[in-house]
Amino acid sequence: MSKLTTGSFSIEDLKDVQITINTIVGAAKEAAKAEDIGPMGPSPFPGLATYRDDWNLKLLDRYEPVITPMCDQCCYCTYGPCDLSNNKRGACGIDMAGHNGREFFLRVITGTACHAAHGRHLLDHLIETFGEDIPLDLGQSDVLTPNITITTGQSPKTLGEIKPAMEFAEEQLTQLLATVHAGQESAEIDYDSKALFSGSLDHVGMEISDIVQIAALDFPKADPEAPLIEMGIGTIDKEKPFLCVIGHNVAGVTYMMDYMEENELTDKVELGGLCCTAIDLTRYKEADRRPPYTKVVGSMSKELKIIRSGMPDVIVVDEQCVRGDIVPEAQKLNIPVIASNAKIMYGLPNRDNQDVDATIEELKSGAIPGCVILNYEKLGEISVRLAQEMHPIREAAGVREVASDEQMKEWVDKCADCGACYLACPIELDIPEAMKFAKEGNYSYLEDLHDACIGCRRCEQVCKKEIPILSVIEKASQKIIAEEKGWMRAGRGQVSDAEIRSEGLNLVMGTTPGIIAIIGCPNYSDCAKGVYYIAEEFLKRNYIVVGTGCGSMDMGMYKDENGETLYERFPGGFVSGGLVNIGSCVSNAHITGAAQKVAGIFGGRTMEGNLAEISDYILNRVGACGLAWGAFSQKASSIGTGCNIYGIPAVLGAHSSKYRRALIAKDYDESKWKVYDARNGEEMAIPPAPEFLLTTAETWQEATPMMAKACIRPSDNNLGRSIKLTHWMELHDKYIGGLPDDWWKFVRGEADIPLAKRAALMKILEEKHGWEIDWKRKKIISGPTIKFDVSAQPTNLKRLCKEA
Amino acid sequence: MVDTTKNTKLFTSYGVTTSKAINPDMAAKMISKAKRPLLVVGSGVLKPELLDRAVKIAQKANLPIAATGHSHVGFLDKDVDAKYINVHQLGFYLTDPNWPGLDGKGNYDMVIVLEFKKYYINQVLSGTRNFSNLKAISIGRDYIQNATMSFGNISREDHYVALDELIDNL
Repeated sequence: MSKLTTGSFSIEDLKDVQITINTIVGAAKEAAKAEDIGPMGPSPFPGLATYRDDWNLKLLDRYEPVITPMCDQCCYCTYGPCDLSNNKRGACGIDMAGHNGREFFLRVITGTACHAAHGRHLLDHLIETFGEDIPLDLGQSDVLTPNITITTGQSPKTLGEIKPAMEFAEEQLTQLLATVHAGQESAEIDYDSKALFSGSLDHVGMEISDIVQIAALDFPKADPEAPLIEMGIGTIDKEKPFLCVIGHNVAGVTYMMDYMEENELTDKVELGGLCCTAIDLTRYKEADRRPPYTKVVGSMSKELKIIRSGMPDVIVVDEQCVRGDIVPEAQKLNIPVIASNAKIMYGLPNRDNQDVDATIEELKSGAIPGCVILNYEKLGEISVRLAQEMHPIREAAGVREVASDEQMKEWVDKCADCGACYLACPIELDIPEAMKFAKEGNYSYLEDLHDACIGCRRCEQVCKKEIPILSVIEKASQKIIAEEKGWMRAGRGQVSDAEIRSEGLNLVMGTTPGIIAIIGCPNYSDCAKGVYYIAEEFLKRNYIVVGTGCGSMDMGMYKDENGETLYERFPGGFVSGGLVNIGSCVSNAHITGAAQKVAGIFGGRTMEGNLAEISDYILNRVGACGLAWGAFSQKASSIGTGCNIYGIPAVLGAHSSKYRRALIAKDYDESKWKVYDARNGEEMAIPPAPEFLLTTAETWQEATPMMAKACIRPSDNNLGRSIKLTHWMELHDKYIGGLPDDWWKFVRGEADIPLAKRAALMKILEEKHGWEIDWKRKKIISGPTIKFDVSAQPTNLKRLCKEA
Repeated sequence: MVDTTKNTKLFTSYGVTTSKAINPDMAAKMISKAKRPLLVVGSGVLKPELLDRAVKIAQKANLPIAATGHSHVGFLDKDVDAKYINVHQLGFYLTDPNWPGLDGKGNYDMVIVLEFKKYYINQVLSGTRNFSNLKAISIGRDYIQNATMSFGNISREDHYVALDELIDNL
């Protein structure tokens, strides 16, 4: 019997009958295995064990898991709770390390599931709306889906052709989730290997999410000139009705925008958002450059702050990174809440099947605090009309204003200085001290807390005097909030093939010192402005700074002495010294994608089903380092772990020590710092960088030189190494003080030494480290433990060596 | 009469082991007893009042300093043996008996920690507590449960006094 193929056909003698076959189970895998589809690596459609021995365990041998448990016990099954302290084993047999490996892994697969589910929702919705044949027009590129291609071997060209990759990610997630059942996997190292695999799937899920919306919703397509978007609470016009959207999934918001545009309301209603929905609503239909009119209010930490400001007239939530107390908080200020995605329904009544006018009346009356509306046509109309109707009602009720001065004084005077708020504050703000000064009429200390405050209201929950401390901080900060106006570039999508071709050589040789990826959430341990300082420092030094999500927003919230934001000061292209806002959280796949494309397009490596070789290329040749400075979510852990499997290290803020697992190398163990030269299979020594794949830093000042150092790669040529050492050593001196203790370990010859201080540094090499210097020729005669060979092909994979 | 209040040890939930709360004199005694102690300071130490006291502690007890975060910048002009290291990295290395230490002479048997965000040092010390025999004495203003011994939660003013008492007792 011949094999079935997809498509439509008729059967002879059966008049008016046409059979259409959309998908054949297993066909995609079969196709990937066929020989006639071009080069293919060893791992298309991988399973749980595929990457383990060939790549993951090699990574984990150098970058060892560092376990920092949250508590002593495991209460995962009914055998327990079990005391695992001092690495004891519980009743099921798992030890502390294994249990915490599982805890970290759970976070990674949760994040992976979030993005995969996001991708599935968008894919189904957009196929239903626009059809399967919408082409993946993502800009001027041939490599459209690097993460999908590396993982599955496939290169889909239309929405419909993405389905096999989506189904594959879902299937593997089920397999991964099964391993956490009590009595299954218990070895910490294998949870790490599985977490890395899950991380690679996460970038598939994110890639799907973003490319389908770019293609179908006309987002900017690899556009370095994507428009600048107004940002900040201060940009919201208080005189207009304000429709506030919160979450990550743009599907429903497009219907609000369509309704506003069809009814000429774009200048009459403010539509602004928080978190990634905000970024993506500014990308909708921006490929054809109609003037942007939607606003980005800010990151997740602004959710309660914007509600407490009283300004939103309606709040619509979708999915991911949405606070659990939106409804009770909004209810206090008569703000109706609409839940528009089945993942968050808040226990609200569903009004999908009710007449639009009746639902508006019901919400207007306050009979219900909000409702679920999953029908996007209705959502678009109801949310916009309701905002217009609620605006005068709320204005008249006096709930659109912050507290009065008298109210403020009354709150402050109630403070008993018990210190409970300090103990409860997750970022340890000295609220008692600020309250003490406020009692004396000095509100500046309270104002100083605003930027660092993550708006979690844990302080309020422990205040015995029931002072609404968040509102107190916000009231004291009205002046600076009014001035919170920034600019960010609308997310531009992928890095194009042409950009990779022009920067690839510079990145591999090190003459463009590195890619700095500033991503993630706003749970900062020092201040939101830290990401601005870090970005500015690297931009001025000609690194390529890419950003996504809340990190992209916070980089644009601050201005220099000329009143300009970073997005106004630096170009939006993937070029040395460029500030590239890739897009929302799901756009993170294009950051790994850019590094993968360097390996595939510039390095000429096969991408199809070839994760280990691509990752090996990136680890050894592409200087890139991520910064998730305020990572709070499970998604942040999966994004970071996806970067890790591809050989990209990431620095996280201090809070991220609570993820329980880091990956840090022993810089003193020389056996860990060897690779093979692929030309002949001989071992070659490399410098100890990057020293980590996932770790934390205490302050942004510490993180900055750490990241510069983490961009050093074995493949750097002399000029590249010299440039990278210059930046790292200058940043170390600026923020840490003095020379780093181990700078000499990176020197292979005199040409590697920073030019401006070459003679002085050679003197140190001679005197302190006993290196032999020929001062007449200004050459190093002996001393370096690593050699420079411009033709060397560093690899961690023995199988890629010629003799192998 | 049977005393039914004597033993209230929990069996249902083990929670988190807590550190022994100590006074400055006891902390000084423990530091003096250590064979190879290391003073580990976070960036919070850059407040002048604390920097002076950290320097005095290091000098009086002859302690090398692991200057983590960006605290190293404060010790450049001070007569102490301070070296930069990332604290998460340090926490990991402290669990490795083969780590040569900051001076190449081997690992440490005690760390004295000062001026960190409490959640951060607490996480770092959860690693050393579960996976090594290292003793950790916290002399910051927050009670650190994953330390072996720790000051309790105290006000900033009391903290300065406590550190002065510690210095006197070294």
